[in-house]
Amino acid sequence: MDLPFGTMPLILNDMQPLHWALSGAILGGITVLLMATLNTQLGLSTTFANFCALGSDLPYFRRSSLRVGGRWRLWFALGLVGAGVLSAVLGGGWTPTWNLGLFDTQVGWGPMGKVAWMFGGGVLIGLGTRTGGGCTSGHGLFGLATLQWASLRAVLSFMVVGIVTANVLYRVIF
Amino acid sequence: MNPTVRNVLYVVYGLAFGFTLSRSGAADFNYIQKMFLFEDLQLYGILASGVVTAGVGLWLVRRAGRTITGDPVSFSSKPVNRGNLVGGALFGAGWAITGMCPGPVLVNVGEGKIYALAAFAGVLAGTYLFGYLYAPLQRTFGLPELPAEVQGAAAGD
Repeated sequence: MDLPFGTMPLILNDMQPLHWALSGAILGGITVLLMATLNTQLGLSTTFANFCALGSDLPYFRRSSLRVGGRWRLWFALGLVGAGVLSAVLGGGWTPTWNLGLFDTQVGWGPMGKVAWMFGGGVLIGLGTRTGGGCTSGHGLFGLATLQWASLRAVLSFMVVGIVTANVLYRVIF
Repeated sequence: MNPTVRNVLYVVYGLAFGFTLSRSGAADFNYIQKMFLFEDLQLYGILASGVVTAGVGLWLVRRAGRTITGDPVSFSSKPVNRGNLVGGALFGAGWAITGMCPGPVLVNVGEGKIYALAAFAGVLAGTYLFGYLYAPLQRTFGLPELPAEVQGAAAGD
């Protein structure tokens, strides 16, 4: 059967993507290694609460679970940003870009429009992940892998709304 | 384990995790949209493969009860509340709009996608807004109470 997996190049330097099974195994493997070597549960949306805790004294950001226990996320985040740089440098070169693929061909807004679009979407991500208790990593990978009811509820909710949003945006509005 | 070694390990894991997000399509705007539009199944495959791998591995770690250096492991369960559904829905809309979830926001910044900086600022602002509104949101969605250590100053109301 010929199902569509990895049918197009990445926006980043038009590279071909890695195989889905290998990619998932690496991401799942690191989730296991975090626990097996450092007793750490994967969860990346909280990284932004760690950033807030650096500069805010609101009670929510003053918890020791965030300020002390959650410090690891800042180191992990350093790795994530570094990985983006490394991936570009090793894969054809690092060049700042506004290229946004499907958004450019179907919506076609310029840089200022993209900034507003991304900021607005980002606010929803920040508010939503904190209200929901996690994102694709904490709920999607760690939570589903440990059979958590909260995670199944969150994953179903964000997948369904993501599907509706993208379909409305690219098949109805634009 | 020595704190410096721990921090170095976190950076190394972050590098491997981020590089895989970057090269697999999981941090790619087009792949996110084609997943939601069911035109490419790459990311569904990644999630399935990731959950199965993590499921088997974490089950073994939990059964062993210890890390490889002999320290005890602790698994905490995530709170079930109305926030899972409502917050999940807000996040789903934001994920489709930006084409990034929180980890890939950082990866895209590293890759040189200039607009990812705006997404980064947005996620930070949304997270701050949540902290600011914690008291009313906590009551509305049945979120966990803040620990006693920070109860001194009233939260947001």
